[in-house]
Amino acid sequence: MSMFEIWLGILQGLGITAQVTAYALVFAVPFALVLGVAQFLATGLTRFLVTAVIEFWRSSAVVVLLFVFYYVLPVMGITLSALTVSALVLGLNIGGYASQAVRAGLQSLPAGQREAGMALGLSRPAILLLIELPQALITMSPTFVNNLIQLVKATSLVSLVTLTDMTFRAKEIAQTDYDPVAIYSALLLAFFVVCYPIALAGRWLEARVHPEKGTARGI
Amino acid sequence: MLAQAPHPASETLPLVRIVGLNKWFGALQVLKDIELTVRAGSRIVVCGPSGSGKSTLIRCINGLEHFQKGTIQLEGTALGRNPRDTATARRQTGMVFQSFNLFPHLTVLANCTLALRRVLLKPASEAEEIAMHHLTTVRIPEKAHAYPAQLSGGQQQRVAIARALCLNPRIMLFDEPTSALDPEMIKEVLDVMVALAGSGVTMVCVTHEMGFAREVADQIVFMDEGRIVVHASSRDFFSRAAHPRAQLFLDTILSH
Repeated sequence: MSMFEIWLGILQGLGITAQVTAYALVFAVPFALVLGVAQFLATGLTRFLVTAVIEFWRSSAVVVLLFVFYYVLPVMGITLSALTVSALVLGLNIGGYASQAVRAGLQSLPAGQREAGMALGLSRPAILLLIELPQALITMSPTFVNNLIQLVKATSLVSLVTLTDMTFRAKEIAQTDYDPVAIYSALLLAFFVVCYPIALAGRWLEARVHPEKGTARGI
Repeated sequence: MLAQAPHPASETLPLVRIVGLNKWFGALQVLKDIELTVRAGSRIVVCGPSGSGKSTLIRCINGLEHFQKGTIQLEGTALGRNPRDTATARRQTGMVFQSFNLFPHLTVLANCTLALRRVLLKPASEAEEIAMHHLTTVRIPEKAHAYPAQLSGGQQQRVAIARALCLNPRIMLFDEPTSALDPEMIKEVLDVMVALAGSGVTMVCVTHEMGFAREVADQIVFMDEGRIVVHASSRDFFSRAAHPRAQLFLDTILSH
Protein backbone atom coordinates (compact mmCIF):
# COMPACT_ATOMS: atom_id res chain seq x y z
CA MET A 1 0.00 0.00 0.00
CA SER A 2 1.23 3.45 -0.80
CA MET A 3 1.37 5.98 1.98
CA PHE A 4 -1.55 7.80 0.39
CA GLU A 5 -3.67 4.64 0.40
CA ILE A 6 -2.76 4.07 4.02
CA TRP A 7 -3.77 7.62 4.79
CA LEU A 8 -7.14 7.20 3.08
CA GLY A 9 -7.62 3.99 5.01
CA ILE A 10 -6.97 5.80 8.27
CA LEU A 11 -9.36 8.60 7.33
CA GLN A 12 -12.16 6.00 7.22
CA GLY A 13 -11.97 6.31 11.00
CA LEU A 14 -12.49 10.06 10.86
CA GLY A 15 -16.25 9.62 11.15
CA ILE A 16 -15.91 7.87 14.52
CA THR A 17 -13.34 10.44 15.69
CA ALA A 18 -15.76 13.22 14.79
CA GLN A 19 -18.70 11.37 16.32
CA VAL A 20 -16.88 10.80 19.63
CA THR A 21 -15.76 14.44 19.69
CA ALA A 22 -19.25 15.80 19.03
CA TYR A 23 -20.90 13.41 21.49
CA ALA A 24 -18.26 14.22 24.12
CA LEU A 25 -19.05 17.92 23.73
CA VAL A 26 -22.65 17.14 24.70
CA PHE A 27 -21.23 16.10 28.08
CA ALA A 28 -18.38 18.60 28.26
CA VAL A 29 -20.18 21.89 27.59
CA PRO A 30 -22.97 21.61 30.20
CA PHE A 31 -20.54 20.09 32.71
CA ALA A 32 -18.05 22.95 32.27
CA LEU A 33 -20.72 25.65 32.43
CA VAL A 34 -22.72 24.28 35.34
CA LEU A 35 -19.77 23.26 37.52
CA GLY A 36 -17.66 26.30 36.61
CA VAL A 37 -20.51 28.62 37.59
CA ALA A 38 -21.29 26.53 40.68
CA GLN A 39 -17.69 26.69 41.84
CA PHE A 40 -17.74 30.47 41.30
CA LEU A 41 -20.97 31.02 43.26
CA ALA A 42 -20.86 28.34 45.93
CA THR A 43 -19.31 28.67 49.34
CA GLY A 44 -18.49 26.28 52.16
CA LEU A 45 -19.47 22.64 51.86
CA THR A 46 -21.22 23.05 48.48
CA ARG A 47 -18.06 24.51 47.00
CA PHE A 48 -16.03 21.65 48.44
CA LEU A 49 -18.36 19.10 46.85
CA VAL A 50 -18.35 20.87 43.49
CA THR A 51 -14.57 21.03 43.56
CA ALA A 52 -14.40 17.35 44.45
CA VAL A 53 -16.51 16.39 41.41
CA ILE A 54 -14.43 18.56 39.10
CA GLU A 55 -11.16 17.22 40.47
CA PHE A 56 -12.31 13.60 40.12
CA TRP A 57 -12.86 14.05 36.39
CA ARG A 58 -9.91 16.35 35.82
CA SER A 59 -7.30 14.52 37.84
CA SER A 60 -8.02 10.91 36.87
CA ALA A 61 -6.15 9.20 34.04
CA VAL A 62 -8.45 9.08 31.01
CA VAL A 63 -7.34 5.59 29.99
CA VAL A 64 -8.09 4.27 33.45
CA LEU A 65 -11.49 5.96 33.48
CA LEU A 66 -12.27 4.44 30.08
CA PHE A 67 -11.44 0.93 31.31
CA VAL A 68 -13.33 1.43 34.57
CA PHE A 69 -16.49 2.60 32.86
CA TYR A 70 -16.26 0.11 30.01
CA TYR A 71 -15.35 -3.02 31.99
CA VAL A 72 -16.43 -2.32 35.58
CA LEU A 73 -19.88 -0.75 35.11
CA PRO A 74 -21.31 -3.86 33.34
CA VAL A 75 -20.32 -5.89 36.42
CA MET A 76 -22.55 -3.54 38.41
CA GLY A 77 -25.35 -4.11 35.91
CA ILE A 78 -24.92 -0.87 33.97
CA THR A 79 -24.07 -1.47 30.34
CA LEU A 80 -23.26 1.52 28.17
CA SER A 81 -22.18 1.39 24.55
CA ALA A 82 -18.50 1.94 23.77
CA LEU A 83 -19.43 5.23 22.13
CA THR A 84 -21.35 6.48 25.16
CA VAL A 85 -18.62 5.44 27.59
CA SER A 86 -16.01 7.15 25.43
CA ALA A 87 -18.01 10.35 25.05
CA LEU A 88 -18.85 10.44 28.76
CA VAL A 89 -15.31 9.90 29.97
CA LEU A 90 -13.57 12.14 27.45
CA GLY A 91 -16.30 14.78 27.72
CA LEU A 92 -16.33 15.02 31.50
CA ASN A 93 -12.54 14.95 31.66
CA ILE A 94 -12.16 17.85 29.23
CA GLY A 95 -15.23 19.50 30.79
CA GLY A 96 -13.36 19.45 34.09
CA TYR A 97 -10.56 21.46 32.51
CA ALA A 98 -12.99 23.83 30.78
CA SER A 99 -14.91 24.39 34.03
CA GLN A 100 -11.75 25.92 35.47
CA ALA A 101 -11.61 28.33 32.54
CA VAL A 102 -15.26 29.25 33.17
CA ARG A 103 -14.58 29.84 36.87
CA ALA A 104 -11.37 31.79 36.24
CA GLY A 105 -13.10 33.90 33.58
CA LEU A 106 -15.87 34.80 36.01
CA GLN A 107 -13.45 35.51 38.86
CA SER A 108 -11.29 37.76 36.70
CA LEU A 109 -14.13 40.22 36.10
CA PRO A 110 -13.91 43.42 38.14
CA ALA A 111 -16.31 43.52 41.11
CA GLY A 112 -17.70 46.75 39.64
CA GLN A 113 -19.48 44.79 36.93
CA ARG A 114 -21.57 42.88 39.45
CA GLU A 115 -22.13 46.02 41.53
CA ALA A 116 -23.32 47.98 38.50
CA GLY A 117 -25.81 45.20 37.79
CA MET A 118 -26.98 45.19 41.40
CA ALA A 119 -27.32 48.97 41.40
CA LEU A 120 -29.61 48.67 38.36
CA GLY A 121 -31.85 46.30 40.30
CA LEU A 122 -30.94 43.16 38.33
CA SER A 123 -31.28 39.84 40.15
CA ARG A 124 -28.21 37.68 40.79
CA PRO A 125 -29.14 35.16 38.04
CA ALA A 126 -29.74 38.03 35.59
CA ILE A 127 -26.34 39.53 36.42
CA LEU A 128 -24.72 36.14 35.83
CA LEU A 129 -26.48 35.52 32.51
CA LEU A 130 -26.49 39.02 31.03
CA ILE A 131 -23.31 40.57 32.39
CA GLU A 132 -20.82 38.09 33.80
CA LEU A 133 -21.08 34.96 31.64
CA PRO A 134 -21.05 36.72 28.26
CA GLN A 135 -17.84 38.53 29.21
CA ALA A 136 -16.20 35.49 30.80
CA LEU A 137 -17.02 33.20 27.87
CA ILE A 138 -15.66 35.67 25.32
CA THR A 139 -12.46 36.15 27.32
CA MET A 140 -12.01 32.43 27.75
CA SER A 141 -12.91 31.34 24.21
CA PRO A 142 -9.25 30.77 23.17
CA THR A 143 -8.87 28.42 26.14
CA PHE A 144 -11.99 26.53 25.08
CA VAL A 145 -10.48 26.04 21.62
CA ASN A 146 -7.36 24.57 23.26
CA ASN A 147 -9.63 22.24 25.23
CA LEU A 148 -11.34 21.20 22.00
CA ILE A 149 -7.98 20.31 20.41
CA GLN A 150 -7.08 18.28 23.50
CA LEU A 151 -10.40 16.49 23.18
CA VAL A 152 -9.87 15.58 19.52
CA LYS A 153 -6.43 14.22 20.34
CA ALA A 154 -7.75 12.29 23.32
CA THR A 155 -10.22 10.46 21.07
CA SER A 156 -7.28 8.30 19.93
CA LEU A 157 -7.79 6.43 23.23
CA VAL A 158 -11.23 5.15 22.23
CA SER A 159 -9.52 2.56 20.02
CA LEU A 160 -8.81 0.80 23.33
CA VAL A 161 -12.52 0.17 23.83
CA THR A 162 -13.11 -1.22 20.32
CA LEU A 163 -14.24 1.92 18.46
CA THR A 164 -12.87 2.06 14.91
CA ASP A 165 -11.57 5.61 15.03
CA MET A 166 -8.51 6.75 13.09
CA THR A 167 -6.09 5.17 15.57
CA PHE A 168 -7.98 1.85 15.46
CA ARG A 169 -7.89 1.93 11.66
CA ALA A 170 -4.14 2.50 11.77
CA LYS A 171 -3.70 -0.54 13.98
CA GLU A 172 -5.94 -2.60 11.69
CA ILE A 173 -3.87 -1.64 8.67
CA ALA A 174 -0.71 -2.39 10.63
CA GLN A 175 -1.91 -5.96 11.12
CA THR A 176 -2.20 -6.67 7.39
CA ASP A 177 0.59 -4.43 6.19
CA TYR A 178 3.82 -4.33 8.16
CA ASP A 179 4.91 -0.76 7.56
CA PRO A 180 4.88 1.05 10.94
CA VAL A 181 6.79 4.08 9.68
CA ALA A 182 4.33 4.87 6.90
CA ILE A 183 1.23 3.90 8.92
CA TYR A 184 1.98 5.86 12.06
CA SER A 185 3.32 8.83 10.10
CA ALA A 186 0.05 8.84 8.19
CA LEU A 187 -1.87 8.70 11.47
CA LEU A 188 0.14 11.61 12.80
CA LEU A 189 -0.65 13.54 9.64
CA ALA A 190 -4.34 12.66 9.88
CA PHE A 191 -4.62 14.13 13.39
CA PHE A 192 -2.64 17.18 12.32
CA VAL A 193 -4.99 17.79 9.39
CA VAL A 194 -7.95 17.71 11.79
CA CYS A 195 -6.44 19.71 14.65
CA TYR A 196 -4.49 22.38 12.83
CA PRO A 197 -7.56 24.14 11.36
CA ILE A 198 -9.04 24.23 14.86
CA ALA A 199 -5.81 25.78 16.14
CA LEU A 200 -5.96 28.37 13.36
CA ALA A 201 -9.56 29.16 14.23
CA GLY A 202 -8.48 29.54 17.85
CA ARG A 203 -5.72 31.94 16.90
CA TRP A 204 -8.14 33.99 14.82
CA LEU A 205 -10.52 34.04 17.78
CA GLU A 206 -7.76 35.08 20.16
CA ALA A 207 -6.82 37.97 17.88
CA ARG A 208 -10.42 39.14 17.96
CA VAL A 209 -10.85 38.73 21.70
CA HIS A 210 -7.47 40.11 22.80
CA PRO A 211 -6.35 42.36 19.93
CA GLU A 212 -3.89 44.11 22.24
CA LYS A 213 -1.87 40.99 22.97
CA GLY A 214 -0.97 40.02 19.41
CA THR A 215 -0.96 36.38 18.36
CA ALA A 216 1.61 33.63 18.20
CA ARG A 217 4.07 34.24 15.39
CA GLY A 218 4.65 31.95 12.43
CA ILE A 219 2.29 29.53 10.76
CA MET B 1 -36.28 53.39 67.43
CA LEU B 2 -35.56 57.04 68.04
CA ALA B 3 -38.45 59.41 68.52
CA GLN B 4 -39.25 61.10 65.27
CA ALA B 5 -38.43 64.77 65.33
CA PRO B 6 -41.52 66.84 64.58
CA HIS B 7 -41.32 68.75 61.36
CA PRO B 8 -43.64 71.24 59.68
CA ALA B 9 -46.40 69.67 57.61
CA SER B 10 -45.14 71.52 54.54
CA GLU B 11 -42.01 69.38 54.50
CA THR B 12 -42.24 66.22 52.47
CA LEU B 13 -41.52 62.70 53.66
CA PRO B 14 -37.75 62.24 53.54
CA LEU B 15 -36.48 60.16 50.61
CA VAL B 16 -33.72 58.71 52.70
CA ARG B 17 -33.62 58.53 56.46
CA ILE B 18 -30.52 57.11 58.10
CA VAL B 19 -30.64 56.59 61.86
CA GLY B 20 -27.82 55.35 64.10
CA LEU B 21 -25.93 53.68 61.27
CA ASN B 22 -22.83 51.74 62.29
CA LYS B 23 -20.70 49.52 60.11
CA TRP B 24 -17.60 47.47 60.64
CA PHE B 25 -15.19 45.84 58.20
CA GLY B 26 -13.99 43.06 60.50
CA ALA B 27 -12.65 44.81 63.59
CA LEU B 28 -12.42 48.19 61.87
CA GLN B 29 -15.39 50.46 62.43
CA VAL B 30 -15.92 52.45 59.23
CA LEU B 31 -19.22 54.18 60.02
CA LYS B 32 -20.06 55.55 63.46
CA ASP B 33 -23.53 56.69 64.53
CA ILE B 34 -24.47 58.20 61.18
CA GLU B 35 -27.65 60.29 61.14
CA LEU B 36 -28.70 61.73 57.81
CA THR B 37 -31.97 62.74 56.22
CA VAL B 38 -32.25 63.43 52.52
CA ARG B 39 -35.36 65.26 51.36
CA ALA B 40 -36.61 65.39 47.79
CA GLY B 41 -34.77 68.04 45.83
CA SER B 42 -31.74 68.09 48.15
CA ARG B 43 -28.30 68.25 46.64
CA ILE B 44 -25.89 66.94 49.24
CA VAL B 45 -22.15 66.79 48.74
CA VAL B 46 -20.28 64.40 51.00
CA CYS B 47 -16.61 65.21 51.42
CA GLY B 48 -13.77 64.35 53.74
CA PRO B 49 -10.33 62.76 53.75
CA SER B 50 -9.86 59.37 52.14
CA GLY B 51 -10.84 56.52 54.42
CA SER B 52 -13.41 58.66 56.20
CA GLY B 53 -16.30 56.41 55.16
CA LYS B 54 -17.91 58.61 52.46
CA SER B 55 -18.12 55.95 49.76
CA THR B 56 -19.18 53.28 52.24
CA LEU B 57 -22.00 55.53 53.42
CA ILE B 58 -23.52 56.07 49.99
CA ARG B 59 -22.99 52.43 49.06
CA CYS B 60 -25.10 51.56 52.11
CA ILE B 61 -27.95 53.69 50.79
CA ASN B 62 -28.59 51.35 47.84
CA GLY B 63 -27.65 48.17 49.64
CA LEU B 64 -24.28 47.56 47.99
CA GLU B 65 -22.82 47.38 51.49
CA HIS B 66 -24.34 45.62 54.45
CA PHE B 67 -24.35 47.30 57.82
CA GLN B 68 -24.48 45.89 61.32
CA LYS B 69 -26.39 48.50 63.30
CA GLY B 70 -28.95 51.22 62.68
CA THR B 71 -31.60 51.70 60.01
CA ILE B 72 -31.79 53.12 56.52
CA GLN B 73 -35.22 53.89 55.17
CA LEU B 74 -35.91 54.68 51.55
CA GLU B 75 -39.27 56.41 51.32
CA GLY B 76 -40.26 54.67 54.52
CA THR B 77 -39.10 51.16 53.51
CA ALA B 78 -36.29 49.75 55.64
CA LEU B 79 -33.25 48.39 53.81
CA GLY B 80 -31.53 45.16 54.67
CA ARG B 81 -34.58 43.44 56.17
CA ASN B 82 -35.55 41.39 53.16
CA PRO B 83 -34.00 41.09 49.71
CA ARG B 84 -37.18 42.16 47.91
CA ASP B 85 -37.07 45.57 49.64
CA THR B 86 -33.40 45.91 48.74
CA ALA B 87 -34.17 45.19 45.09
CA THR B 88 -36.95 47.79 45.14
CA ALA B 89 -34.62 50.29 46.79
CA ARG B 90 -32.02 49.73 44.09
CA ARG B 91 -34.54 50.42 41.36
CA GLN B 92 -35.31 53.74 43.03
CA THR B 93 -31.71 54.83 43.36
CA GLY B 94 -29.32 55.57 40.52
CA MET B 95 -25.66 54.90 41.21
CA VAL B 96 -22.68 56.36 39.38
CA PHE B 97 -19.33 54.78 40.20
CA GLN B 98 -15.83 56.15 40.23
CA SER B 99 -14.72 53.60 37.63
CA PHE B 100 -17.86 53.96 35.43
CA ASN B 101 -18.52 50.19 35.41
CA LEU B 102 -20.14 50.20 32.00
CA PHE B 103 -20.72 46.74 30.56
CA PRO B 104 -17.94 46.40 27.95
CA HIS B 105 -19.70 43.70 25.89
CA LEU B 106 -22.76 45.89 25.28
CA THR B 107 -23.20 49.04 23.21
CA VAL B 108 -23.90 52.34 24.91
CA LEU B 109 -27.57 51.95 24.04
CA ALA B 110 -27.72 48.37 25.32
CA ASN B 111 -26.02 49.45 28.56
CA CYS B 112 -28.85 51.93 29.03
CA THR B 113 -31.71 49.66 28.01
CA LEU B 114 -30.59 46.54 29.93
CA ALA B 115 -32.39 47.33 33.19
CA LEU B 116 -35.36 48.92 31.43
CA ARG B 117 -35.92 45.67 29.57
CA ARG B 118 -34.90 43.11 32.17
CA VAL B 119 -36.04 44.82 35.38
CA LEU B 120 -38.92 47.05 34.32
CA LEU B 121 -39.79 44.66 31.44
CA LYS B 122 -40.39 47.43 28.93
CA PRO B 123 -40.58 46.57 25.22
CA ALA B 124 -37.42 47.24 23.20
CA SER B 125 -38.77 50.25 21.32
CA GLU B 126 -39.91 52.03 24.48
CA ALA B 127 -36.66 51.21 26.28
CA GLU B 128 -34.63 52.62 23.42
CA GLU B 129 -36.71 55.77 23.35
CA ILE B 130 -36.13 56.33 27.08
CA ALA B 131 -32.42 55.56 26.71
CA MET B 132 -32.00 57.98 23.80
CA HIS B 133 -33.76 60.67 25.81
CA HIS B 134 -31.24 60.32 28.64
CA LEU B 135 -28.27 59.98 26.30
CA THR B 136 -29.38 63.32 24.89
CA THR B 137 -29.56 64.73 28.42
CA VAL B 138 -25.89 63.80 28.94
CA ARG B 139 -25.08 65.12 25.44
CA ILE B 140 -23.87 61.92 23.87
CA PRO B 141 -26.73 60.55 21.72
CA GLU B 142 -24.40 60.15 18.70
CA LYS B 143 -22.45 57.40 20.50
CA ALA B 144 -25.50 55.19 21.11
CA HIS B 145 -24.13 52.37 18.97
CA ALA B 146 -20.51 52.62 20.09
CA TYR B 147 -18.95 50.25 22.62
CA PRO B 148 -17.61 51.63 25.92
CA ALA B 149 -13.99 50.91 24.91
CA GLN B 150 -14.41 53.33 22.00
CA LEU B 151 -15.24 56.23 24.35
CA SER B 152 -13.09 58.54 26.44
CA GLY B 153 -13.35 58.38 30.22
CA GLY B 154 -15.52 61.48 30.34
CA GLN B 155 -17.85 60.08 27.70
CA GLN B 156 -18.07 56.75 29.54
CA GLN B 157 -18.98 58.48 32.78
CA ARG B 158 -21.69 60.48 31.03
CA VAL B 159 -23.10 57.25 29.61
CA ALA B 160 -23.00 55.79 33.13
CA ILE B 161 -25.04 58.76 34.33
CA ALA B 162 -27.56 58.24 31.52
CA ARG B 163 -27.75 54.53 32.35
CA ALA B 164 -28.61 55.37 35.96
CA LEU B 165 -31.17 58.00 34.91
CA CYS B 166 -33.01 55.51 32.68
CA LEU B 167 -34.74 53.87 35.65
CA ASN B 168 -36.07 57.31 36.60
CA PRO B 169 -34.60 57.04 40.11
CA ARG B 170 -35.92 59.06 43.03
CA ILE B 171 -32.34 59.82 44.04
CA MET B 172 -28.98 59.79 42.30
CA LEU B 173 -25.90 58.63 44.19
CA PHE B 174 -22.50 59.63 42.85
CA ASP B 175 -19.40 57.90 44.24
CA GLU B 176 -16.45 60.14 43.32
CA PRO B 177 -17.63 60.39 39.71
CA THR B 178 -14.67 62.44 38.51
CA SER B 179 -11.82 60.92 40.52
CA ALA B 180 -10.78 58.50 37.78
CA LEU B 181 -10.86 61.12 35.02
CA ASP B 182 -8.12 63.10 33.37
CA PRO B 183 -8.38 66.80 34.26
CA GLU B 184 -9.62 67.85 30.83
CA MET B 185 -12.58 65.46 31.09
CA ILE B 186 -13.73 66.43 34.56
CA LYS B 187 -15.57 69.50 33.33
CA GLU B 188 -17.81 67.71 30.83
CA VAL B 189 -19.00 65.36 33.57
CA LEU B 190 -19.47 68.12 36.14
CA ASP B 191 -21.41 70.19 33.56
CA VAL B 192 -23.85 67.30 33.13
CA MET B 193 -24.20 66.98 36.91
CA VAL B 194 -24.79 70.73 37.30
CA ALA B 195 -27.52 70.53 34.66
CA LEU B 196 -29.10 67.57 36.47
CA ALA B 197 -29.07 69.46 39.76
CA GLY B 198 -30.70 72.39 37.97
CA SER B 199 -33.52 70.12 36.79
CA GLY B 200 -34.39 69.22 40.38
CA VAL B 201 -32.83 65.75 40.64
CA THR B 202 -32.17 64.75 44.24
CA MET B 203 -28.52 63.86 44.60
CA VAL B 204 -25.97 62.70 47.11
CA CYS B 205 -22.50 63.12 45.72
CA VAL B 206 -19.17 62.05 47.18
CA THR B 207 -16.59 64.31 45.61
CA HIS B 208 -13.49 66.39 46.20
CA GLU B 209 -14.63 68.95 43.63
CA MET B 210 -15.22 71.86 45.98
CA GLY B 211 -16.04 74.24 43.12
CA PHE B 212 -18.89 71.91 42.16
CA ALA B 213 -19.96 71.65 45.80
CA ARG B 214 -20.05 75.41 46.19
CA GLU B 215 -22.02 75.86 42.96
CA VAL B 216 -24.50 73.00 43.24
CA ALA B 217 -24.87 71.67 46.78
CA ASP B 218 -27.44 72.99 49.20
CA GLN B 219 -25.92 70.93 52.02
CA ILE B 220 -22.42 69.71 52.76
CA VAL B 221 -21.67 66.65 54.84
CA PHE B 222 -18.09 66.49 56.05
CA MET B 223 -16.92 63.11 57.32
CA ASP B 224 -13.82 62.11 59.22
CA GLU B 225 -12.92 58.70 60.65
CA GLY B 226 -16.38 57.27 60.02
CA ARG B 227 -18.34 60.11 61.62
CA ILE B 228 -20.31 62.97 60.19
CA VAL B 229 -18.36 65.85 61.72
CA VAL B 230 -20.21 68.66 59.98
CA HIS B 231 -23.60 68.70 58.30
CA ALA B 232 -24.29 72.27 57.30
CA SER B 233 -25.82 74.35 54.60
CA SER B 234 -23.41 74.98 51.78
CA ARG B 235 -23.21 78.67 52.65
CA ASP B 236 -22.35 78.03 56.30
CA PHE B 237 -19.82 75.36 55.39
CA PHE B 238 -17.82 77.52 53.05
CA SER B 239 -17.90 80.47 55.40
CA ARG B 240 -15.68 80.64 58.45
CA ALA B 241 -18.33 78.80 60.43
CA ALA B 242 -16.87 75.46 59.41
CA HIS B 243 -15.57 73.01 61.96
CA PRO B 244 -11.79 73.30 62.51
CA ARG B 245 -11.19 69.79 61.09
CA ALA B 246 -13.23 70.67 58.01
CA GLN B 247 -11.38 73.96 57.68
CA LEU B 248 -8.07 72.08 57.74
CA PHE B 249 -9.38 69.71 55.04
CA LEU B 250 -10.56 72.61 52.88
CA ASP B 251 -7.23 74.41 53.31
CA THR B 252 -5.39 71.23 52.26
CA ILE B 253 -7.36 70.53 49.12
CA LEU B 254 -7.83 74.12 48.03
CA SER B 255 -4.14 75.01 48.45
CA HIS B 256 -3.09 73.07 45.32
